[in-house]
Amino acid sequence: MNAVAASELPASPDRTLAERILAGDEGSFRLLYRRHTPRLHQLALRLVGGAEADAEDVVQDTWIKAVEKLDSFRWESAFGTWLHAIAVNVAREAMRRRGRRQEVEFPEQAEPAAPAPLERVEVMDLERAIAALPDGYRTVLVLHDVEGYTHEEIAEQLGVAAGTTKSQLFWARRAVRTQLADERRTT
Amino acid sequence: MNGNDDLTPGERRAFEALPRERAPRAGLEDRVVAALQRRGLLAIPLTSSAAQRRRLTPWLVGAVAAALALFVGGFAAGQYFGARSGADAALRGAQASGSAAEVAAHAERAGTMYVAALVALNQLSDSADAPARARARQVAIAALGSAAEEVAHLAPNDPLAAAVLRGLNERSKSQGPAPSSRSVVWF
Repeated sequence: MNAVAASELPASPDRTLAERILAGDEGSFRLLYRRHTPRLHQLALRLVGGAEADAEDVVQDTWIKAVEKLDSFRWESAFGTWLHAIAVNVAREAMRRRGRRQEVEFPEQAEPAAPAPLERVEVMDLERAIAALPDGYRTVLVLHDVEGYTHEEIAEQLGVAAGTTKSQLFWARRAVRTQLADERRTT
Repeated sequence: MNGNDDLTPGERRAFEALPRERAPRAGLEDRVVAALQRRGLLAIPLTSSAAQRRRLTPWLVGAVAAALALFVGGFAAGQYFGARSGADAALRGAQASGSAAEVAAHAERAGTMYVAALVALNQLSDSADAPARARARQVAIAALGSAAEEVAHLAPNDPLAAAVLRGLNERSKSQGPAPSSRSVVWF
């Protein structure tokens, strides 16, 4: 075995750690895990709509899939980007399993009135509004407006056309604004 | 939406202010590591026998001891008492049994018999010559490897079987070609 204490390689590049993980080294895995999991966990939590237990399952399954596929990763992108792409698919699968996935789109003829854009938005209110979105809309909104991916990147990750993600983002933003406006009216 | 569907500056600030990282519960790291070890994706540390004992649950330790006793005892019985007929009878009974419960019961009886034979071997060990003892040890180790392979077939992710096979593999590498005594394993 090629055991490495977690304190021995604090600044090692992801690739070095990955090579040691492929040799079965637990210490290197723990380093890589600690480096990437806070961001991965936040992404997972947001994708699944704020359910902590579901987010932890997504984090675990994402790491398992990542280690399983580690020897095929070509390092043409950042490890974190690759990890997040896996997490998105794992989260979608988790949402599908729990039956909460709602891919419906607003039919054109039933288009709701556009809520006014908001100039001041509280972070907590925004977080709640995102969590309340249908799963499909939430995924696109989180990836685009929070994580900063382009429509083309999101479309590739989700296996859909870029036009679909644009449409979903449009309706996701509208739903968020409606939710925020409703909250403002009731407080 | 506001005409072109862009976020307002206030909305954009709110999205940018959302936290990007969130540490999961501390226990998740160990849970993920354990899951990877169960799948054989990370090695189970074997550098310290004390650490290994802490990892193995008492029943697993007992199972290892019983397995070793079974193999050594079986060899001893064959060598010293001509007791193979008992093992053969147990094996024939197991093969002829119709249910998994009966097969398991046969295996349990055979194991008990082998453990008793090992006790007999220990009692006679002072009178046994060195070559015979060495041969008994070799057969026991070869049989342990065969048994671990069978367990690995039954449960590919079993960490104990993987650890036994890994240890035996490292042993055979350090000692050169396997001795011909492996071929004398008769169960």
